[in-house]
Amino acid sequence: MRRSPPFRPEGVSVLRFGLLVLGLAASLWACAAPEPPSRAPRDDLGHAVRLAAPARRIVSLSPSTTELLFAIGAGPWLVGRTRWCDYPPEASAVPSVGDGLRPDVERIAGRRPDLVVLYASAANQSAIFRLAQLGVATASVRLDRLDDLPRAARFLGRLTGFGSRADSLAYAFSHQLDSARAALGAAGTPRRVAVVVWDRPPMVIGRGSFLSDLISLASGRNVFDDLRQPSATTTIEAIAERDPDALLVLGNTVPAFAARAEWQSVRAVRQGRLIRVSGSEFERPTFRALEAAASLRAALEEIPQP
Amino acid sequence: MKWILLGVLALGAVAVAVGVGSAGVPVADVGAGLLGRGDPTAVAIVRQLRLPRALLAFLVGGSLALTGAVLQALVRNPLADPYLLGLSGGAGLGAVSAIALHAPGPWGIPAAAFAGALAAIVLVYRLALVTGTVLDARVLLLAGVVVSAFATALMGALMALSPAPELRNAFLWLLGGFDGASWQAVSVFGAYAAAPVALMVLAARSLDLLALGEEPAYYLGADVERLKRALYLSASLLTAAAVAVSGTIGFVGLIVPHAVRLLWGPLHRSLLPAAFLLGGILLVMADAVARTAFAPLELPVGVVTALLGVPVFVVLVRGWTR
Repeated sequence: MRRSPPFRPEGVSVLRFGLLVLGLAASLWACAAPEPPSRAPRDDLGHAVRLAAPARRIVSLSPSTTELLFAIGAGPWLVGRTRWCDYPPEASAVPSVGDGLRPDVERIAGRRPDLVVLYASAANQSAIFRLAQLGVATASVRLDRLDDLPRAARFLGRLTGFGSRADSLAYAFSHQLDSARAALGAAGTPRRVAVVVWDRPPMVIGRGSFLSDLISLASGRNVFDDLRQPSATTTIEAIAERDPDALLVLGNTVPAFAARAEWQSVRAVRQGRLIRVSGSEFERPTFRALEAAASLRAALEEIPQP
Repeated sequence: MKWILLGVLALGAVAVAVGVGSAGVPVADVGAGLLGRGDPTAVAIVRQLRLPRALLAFLVGGSLALTGAVLQALVRNPLADPYLLGLSGGAGLGAVSAIALHAPGPWGIPAAAFAGALAAIVLVYRLALVTGTVLDARVLLLAGVVVSAFATALMGALMALSPAPELRNAFLWLLGGFDGASWQAVSVFGAYAAAPVALMVLAARSLDLLALGEEPAYYLGADVERLKRALYLSASLLTAAAVAVSGTIGFVGLIVPHAVRLLWGPLHRSLLPAAFLLGGILLVMADAVARTAFAPLELPVGVVTALLGVPVFVVLVRGWTR
């Protein structure tokens, strides 16, 4: 019975060899990985967005991302937008693919996009899945508040190859936002505002919406800023109790509810203090927010101090 | 005894509904507010918002329950409810069209909803008479279903195709609620409802005869055809007004009549007034919960009627089968 010769030295060398191979493989992997983004960026739903090259056929499915893409310089690469995308004016030259939420996947695919930018919503999950099956990259962007803008700009800049322009815009906007907020402390008592977006049932804007940001930048205060939602159904009684100095309504015309008897228990309605704002800068968070806030501030200052 | 209980409950429900709300008005201020004294905001909240809202909820709840009881007797089907005759579809189509066309004025949407409901009623009656001059309950039921489906489809097409973004909120109106309550609404609805309510309550004896079957009722002296037409029309017209002031509120008109039958028997002479009172009480309480449970947020009142009513009904059915 001979015992097999000791095997240890060779075993060690095998181990060393293995390590060497692993090390080589690792360095090869590192070289083979696609250039600048060594990791695929993740969108606001947590999905990795894998693009072989900066996107050059982009479909944008929300008015705010369409405007943002134009702002960072990616506008010429847009091949599709929603029917609601109306800013900048050049956007109307881009073919519309219809609605942005629960979009028409077939029409989008017909534009042969390499990137589809969506609003991050559960309503879009099925479209995201079907686009992925068609081999189209999707990026979901949650753009509700003004503080979401710099992040969204950097993210879209990275996907479209306009990173440096997007970064500087994002930096400048954050800076302006910070200094505008810092300057607010000096202002007097804030005018208290409720944003009524619908009357039957009454719906108001909460702090989840950029409109709440706009009001505070206009040195006002949204009386419903304790609600986390972007918008919520409430009662006339709750509006009357919070007793805002003015109601903010979107659109050009005097809303019909102002004439109704039950709304007269709201002091701002009784006194006719309805601030009407119109324009797309009040419909979505954009880099134009600071100008929107300035015009809103002028309107708020016409309301007499309580 | 039963009437005292229902009366006390009704007054209590209205008192509670006036006493609570998303604004925390203390009880003393509610009393002062009712008399028009004290803080003007509290006075406005109590007198202009809570009181008309509670009264409107009571009238609408009572009307829906009464209508449900009458229709269940007429078509002899326990699943009958006030929206049976295509009313919710017609009213919804009217309201959505008004929103799409930017109908002006505070009464734009209710008037359009009422007109839509009336159109649906006319269409359903016309369809039901296709088979002859006799109103056949089965044909009437089917006509109601198809007219409602057609109106709902048109409404869906309008909502999908119209460029008005505010139409996205139109479905919230369809869920129903009393946010439109005002003294105007209470007085218009009250004045309007008086005649159909009286007609239905006075027809109680004929309805009891009808429960024996149409032929026996005829031999016992009821003018069955005239009775059926008058009751269908008053039930439809009453529901159309209820939909116009408060949207479609489900469940009250279906369950309250059954609950009253379980509690106090099927005789219409007592069933109809009791259903009116109990329907009113349920809807006033449901609206109070809808306003306050998550204040300042508001729940759709139809959600609350079902959440409150189903457990009560289950308990009643259990007691009855035992």
